[in-house]
Amino acid sequence: MISVSKLLCRLDAEGDGLRYDAGEESSKPQIRDRKQRRPVVVWNCTKQCNLYCEHCYAAAETEPAAGELSTAEGKRFLDDLAEFGAPVVLFSGGEPLARPDLVELVDHASDAGLRPVLSTNGTLLTEERARKLRNVGLQYVGVSVDGLRERNDAFRGQEGAFDQALAGIEASQAAGLKTGLRYTITRHNADDLEAVVDLLADRGVDRFCFYHLDYGGRGADIQDVDLSPEQRREAVGRVCEMTREYHDRGHEIETLLVGNYADAAYLVEYTRRELGDEQADRVLAYLRRNGGDPTGERVADVDYQGNVHLTQFWQGYALGNVRDRPFGDIWTDESNPLLRALREREEHLTGRCGACEYQDVCRGASRLRAIAASGDPFAPDPQCYLTDAERGLAGESTGATGTAD
Amino acid sequence: MTAPDGSHGASDGPAFERVDEPRADETREWELFVRESSEESLRHAGSVSAPTAAIAREQATTLFGFAAETLWLCPADETVRLVADDVALGDRADDYEDQTPEGNSSGEISNEEVPEQ
Repeated sequence: MISVSKLLCRLDAEGDGLRYDAGEESSKPQIRDRKQRRPVVVWNCTKQCNLYCEHCYAAAETEPAAGELSTAEGKRFLDDLAEFGAPVVLFSGGEPLARPDLVELVDHASDAGLRPVLSTNGTLLTEERARKLRNVGLQYVGVSVDGLRERNDAFRGQEGAFDQALAGIEASQAAGLKTGLRYTITRHNADDLEAVVDLLADRGVDRFCFYHLDYGGRGADIQDVDLSPEQRREAVGRVCEMTREYHDRGHEIETLLVGNYADAAYLVEYTRRELGDEQADRVLAYLRRNGGDPTGERVADVDYQGNVHLTQFWQGYALGNVRDRPFGDIWTDESNPLLRALREREEHLTGRCGACEYQDVCRGASRLRAIAASGDPFAPDPQCYLTDAERGLAGESTGATGTAD
Repeated sequence: MTAPDGSHGASDGPAFERVDEPRADETREWELFVRESSEESLRHAGSVSAPTAAIAREQATTLFGFAAETLWLCPADETVRLVADDVALGDRADDYEDQTPEGNSSGEISNEEVPEQ
């Protein structure tokens, strides 16, 4: 995650300790020390979902899968995460609210010392449920809305999903939970971006996470609606402008970009152009501390059957299974050559990613998209939208495709 | 000594639990073993999801071709998984089974509340 509001507007937020090792300069609660070096763990605690979204990386269905972790297994798994020092567990799905024991599991996670947060489509979130979740220690609710009413409902496969998600957001806020938006940008909904932020900001939502499409699950089937490099550059630029405009008006919204670390380089270039060299150098220093794409390092995923994945989007490959071996032992086993190579990927990246001037803040972005585009885990990410001049490759013939040049 | 089904033999060695829960749902899972050079042992390196052996091979070579000299793929649903009791999640979770009288439910939210597609 890259916090546009932190980098461009110096917004003080709770995630800065994790993202920029900037906890000491913050007045907000921060995750520090050993836990900064452990991954945030996404737990897809069920495959069941009441919606059928066209971009779902988990390929969720209306029924639970066979062999989902039981309540007791889930609790022991959460103990393992806490013992390993994972800072955050993100309950995701499917739709995690479809799991009957969610409150019990969140309660257990909180008691074990994890920071439990929730990713939901919002449609099943009543104020009563939200209060129960808050009372057992839930720290944050991220609700997915992917456009205004018509586009969102088409995207999510159900009429009324938009209104139900807004009701879920209101329920979460009424229960006193910090609540944010998750918005996956595609050609279908890019035009709604500002209108959705305006609508939700008016309703008191102050955290907006913009996800680039990754090519996992059903997301792999809709690559044709992914943004072009030019559209992506424009969309990220709009997020930057919108964030600054809100802050200039005194409304301190938090905006984050997720899933494409070319954004880090773009932010440095944007800052240099709009705010000058001194600010650009400050942004670059933060982004170097952040360390670029977190796959296989600062983010992990465990699916409903206990398989451990390199990110939540990369469901087609598993490092191991928590029923056979504790999570921490799987995650630290660098006898696996793929895991080892991802953690030292600077030595393996090829093409324009191998020679890029911003490699230290991007690290080649998504390896999953590289595989989808070229069958090579160390080839360039096709979503990179930087120009050759920005990459420091001016005058060279890179043979690059899919760029904004 | 442990029998292939996970039952205990005559020795005083550790007790093993057989892990029968599936590792896959709709698409078959393939356990993946990698040897990086001929003087090394073949090591488990996770699993890939693929509907056929041919696609599993393609995925394994995509992910590990840069490092592997030998790749083995075994259908996960035909692999017997035996894990020492004090390591297996299911065995370690037994303490919590006793605390959840009605199994996988706290009664907070019922499945009936999830609308049909």
